[in-house]
Amino acid sequence: MTSNPTSSCPHFAIVLEESDVSQKLLEKYASVVNWSVNRYQSVRGCVKRRKVSAPSCGTCGLTLARTFACLHCVYTGCWLDGHVSHHLKENDHDFCVDATTGVIFCNQCNDFMFAHPLNKLFLETKILAEEKYGSLKINSTKILPKEVFKPWVLNEKDVGALKGSQTIPCQARRGLLNLGQTCFLNAVLQCFVHNPLLRSYYLADKHNPKQCKFEQCTSCEMDKLFTEIYSEDSTPHGPVSFLATSWHASPDLAGYAQQDAHEFFMNTLNAIHLTSRGSTNVHCNCIIHSTFAGQLQSDVKCERCGNVTSTVDPMLDVSLDFRGKGNEGNSSENTLAACLRRFTQPEKLGAKYTCKSEKCSKSSQEASKRLTFRKLPPVLCFQFKRFEHKTADKNAARKIDTPIRFPASLCMAPYTTFALEDPEKAGHGIFPGPAGMFDYDLFAVINHEGNMDNGHYTNFARFQDEWCRFDDDKVTSSTLGTCLDSPAYMCFYVKRYLDYKVETRPTYVIARETEALREKEKEKENEKEKEAARMKEVEDALLATV
Amino acid sequence: MPTSPLEVDAFYTQLQQRIVDSGEWDRIRFVLASKLNEAGWSDDLRHRSKERAREMKPLSFQTLYDEVFPVAHTSLPLAVKREILAQIRHWVDKQFL
Repeated sequence: MTSNPTSSCPHFAIVLEESDVSQKLLEKYASVVNWSVNRYQSVRGCVKRRKVSAPSCGTCGLTLARTFACLHCVYTGCWLDGHVSHHLKENDHDFCVDATTGVIFCNQCNDFMFAHPLNKLFLETKILAEEKYGSLKINSTKILPKEVFKPWVLNEKDVGALKGSQTIPCQARRGLLNLGQTCFLNAVLQCFVHNPLLRSYYLADKHNPKQCKFEQCTSCEMDKLFTEIYSEDSTPHGPVSFLATSWHASPDLAGYAQQDAHEFFMNTLNAIHLTSRGSTNVHCNCIIHSTFAGQLQSDVKCERCGNVTSTVDPMLDVSLDFRGKGNEGNSSENTLAACLRRFTQPEKLGAKYTCKSEKCSKSSQEASKRLTFRKLPPVLCFQFKRFEHKTADKNAARKIDTPIRFPASLCMAPYTTFALEDPEKAGHGIFPGPAGMFDYDLFAVINHEGNMDNGHYTNFARFQDEWCRFDDDKVTSSTLGTCLDSPAYMCFYVKRYLDYKVETRPTYVIARETEALREKEKEKENEKEKEAARMKEVEDALLATV
Repeated sequence: MPTSPLEVDAFYTQLQQRIVDSGEWDRIRFVLASKLNEAGWSDDLRHRSKERAREMKPLSFQTLYDEVFPVAHTSLPLAVKREILAQIRHWVDKQFL
């Protein structure tokens, strides 16, 4: 079987070349995908609950739990019993599609195939269909307007800009030299480099060191790091200036002692935030906050009167305890999901709460507190609290080595404020919004081996589907399985589908332009006044001669 | 209650239609998928299939499926299996109320 760059199936490649045949086929394909999305949404109960008749198999008559549709006629059928492939053979029809995944099966190849134009069409059709269900009604009936998906079509300006430019791969791997107990730094930096949102930001030159006015700027250092990683040099790079800048930003931690990777990570986030133009203390939209900032809702419930007080707190990452207070924790519960369940379960505060409601007798009430995720960021960073400080003495801390199982894909829906407000819904898997709206994919893991004083940090990171292991300057190809078995300390997940606010110009840009306009107006006024004054002088001179 | 094989078949077809049309099938499948994901079963399968596919020349879905299916079947966590069967049974019982 010859492999074709656009399609792994030569028969489909031929179809793609005949425009009228391919158009009909692709239209049918798109309508199947559309149908699949709409049916899935109506069945999920977020649209009015009504019976939706599912298609049945053209061969055996059973209602299809998983629909395969012929792309040449109206036949739909079962896959597992061979009904749909039998239909293809009998009728000389070449292609059928699995409605759930959009993958096409070729009768002549007798195999499923991959084709670039199909993949693109699938995603676009799916996203456009799902968008109708995307508006999430939060507590009040406020629906946040979102930017509608538009497939990117190159316009003249884009074509001109791309002319003569060289394409390079969007991925690069380079080891980082250990500068003396700096494995913590290297692991964290690799996780930044493999962060899709940060990568896009820095590769798009959004923070240009030549135009930056900050001294000892961490954001500039990040930009320089990306430049080094994406340079043609594949020998390990020593992040000397990054280290020096980090010492400047946190003088207490300067020196060659081993640091906690999580602490370094948080300090670096803060440093980049402070050196981003236009960053603010409230509702900041710098690259760090745009990427990592979420919101936690804290609900305190007075057990006596049931009154609930809610506060919203910002968060940049999530630190998870290994076990709840008291119990030893059984082994089947050492999963990320279990940690998140513990994180969002109500916790008794003891009888010290002062209720603010009028119906209650106010002080010393029993109360419970519960945390839920109110707003989910594009990138979620989880830290497992492995370092237990029993006393104030840092040296007396103990490391918890219990392995934690974490998934390659995580659905955050059951831990959101929305779902937990109605716990019955959460347990039944009925969530609002399009499928996958709450899904995250793992892209990096930081490992720690050894104990508190003489441990070693390494990390895993992936580009698209391929995983690599990073141990300072040693970079090796790895697999998902190896990564998931590693002793994780921190895990990074990226949201599968990003939501975009309706495009608005940042306030500082508007302010700058208004200011510039005002300057221009003032200039004009001054000119006018000068002219008027000159004219008056000339007139006076003339009058004097009379 | 259906007794003859033909009656059982017709009955099964009717139940299948009901469970799919009502959305219960998709709901149970979602719960099954999250439990299997949490147990690490889904990731194990993904890893195995991928690494096997990497070395398979020529790559064929059916060969991969035939190799991976037995492993997938035997590695199904019993607790998950029991829980899902219980949910299905509960739904079926409800149909007779």
